[in-house]
Amino acid sequence: MININDVTKYYPSKLGKQYIFKNLSFEIPNGHNIGILGSNGAGKSTLFRLLSGSEYPNNGSIITDLSLSWPVALTTGIHPLMTGRENTRFIGKINGVADLDAYEERVKMFAELGNKYNLPVKSYSSGMKPRLAFACSIAIDFDVYLIDEVTSVGDAKFRRKAKEALLERSETANVIMVSHEMDEIRQFCDSAIVLHKGELTFYNDLEQGIEQYQAL
Amino acid sequence: MTIVIKRNKWEIWRDVIFALFAREIRTGFNDKFGLSWAVLNPVAFIFILSFLRGRLDGGETHTIPTFTFMAIGILFIQSFIQTLGKSARTIKQNKPLYAFRQVQPLSAVIAGGFFQILIKAFVIIGIIIIMYFLGIDLQISDPLLFISCYFLLILLAMGIGLVFGIAELFVQEFSKIREMMTRPLFFISGVFFSLQDIPKEYWHYLNWNPILHAIELTRYSVYSTYGHQGVSVGYLAWCVLIFTFLSLALYHTLWKQAISQ
Repeated sequence: MININDVTKYYPSKLGKQYIFKNLSFEIPNGHNIGILGSNGAGKSTLFRLLSGSEYPNNGSIITDLSLSWPVALTTGIHPLMTGRENTRFIGKINGVADLDAYEERVKMFAELGNKYNLPVKSYSSGMKPRLAFACSIAIDFDVYLIDEVTSVGDAKFRRKAKEALLERSETANVIMVSHEMDEIRQFCDSAIVLHKGELTFYNDLEQGIEQYQAL
Repeated sequence: MTIVIKRNKWEIWRDVIFALFAREIRTGFNDKFGLSWAVLNPVAFIFILSFLRGRLDGGETHTIPTFTFMAIGILFIQSFIQTLGKSARTIKQNKPLYAFRQVQPLSAVIAGGFFQILIKAFVIIGIIIIMYFLGIDLQISDPLLFISCYFLLILLAMGIGLVFGIAELFVQEFSKIREMMTRPLFFISGVFFSLQDIPKEYWHYLNWNPILHAIELTRYSVYSTYGHQGVSVGYLAWCVLIFTFLSLALYHTLWKQAISQ
């Protein structure tokens, strides 16, 4: 369960404070694979960053006893001058992985970088970096994976692999994902949260949620 | 399966600081010279200035070799300015890493501080080797005072750097103020002179500056004959304590907003 307590979040702008959420309280239930639905600018990404702890609300708090991943396949934490292996080790150390060597190998296997794993990331092609990032997060066993548009990772083959890994993982763990592709949401999720005008509504049945969302 | 250890707060801090420290060593200086430049550059700078100055005035300043006198001054002021700049910059540089909720700006500053201390330890070794070959008397009468002064100075630099780093996340132009402020420090902190060279009635223009206290006390810690007129460990320690407290308080209230910009 993720508890959102009285959260207010705004971004300062020239036109004054732009409120995304005002005194929002909500409970995200356990044991569901949830798709977050909402039109552009409704605050999906903001909610996502708040959940992952990359940003903090201006007021209120978000409390959970689950281990949440960082946004899967987020490449910003990967240093271009370090090798894939060093980056993996860095991420593993920060997240408290017990056996770093095994983790390294696991990421290597999954990311399919071959020898390039031992070369600086700046020499990677544009598809390889997200692959490394994806492998780094999927190789750690979190309770909940936060996924922002999986489909952007790598080529068709790797995307398939990523999906399979996530589907396999979603049997023991849960995912919370943001996507504009309804097919993708249908594939991974069983319920939905619709985000509209700073309010969240939970739908136990995904189809019902999608209906509501499309009616907005 | 990858097993994630349940860690308490302190263990997370320790792991994150260690990881950032290792990352710093790996990427801090990424040209052909690598880390060695970070050591060679200050050693050469200190050597040239101290050696020339030693030649000019016959080799002794207030009972201590001018080389030692100058080397301590330059080493300390450089450590201060570089640690301050590094602490402030590292907060912005590591911004992408705050996507991992374990990483906080403060951990980056602490890792940066350790990195500076490591580099400066090598610089000190380099200078000691040079002094040995120049035949300058190597002695230290109060090593504990030397070490305390150095750590207090680094702590002061980290505290001020932390404040600037957070401020720069809100308003980037603070970095220009920081650069402007650090420039005169080279000339007012007793690097090239001693407080004893200045008539007593003008001391109050200079002795508010904790860096001056640190430098003069360190000279005294090496040669007790140098004396410690006008400076005190108490003043230095209080300054550092107050600055550290204020900067941590400010950090505590502002950091979440700062990285959510």
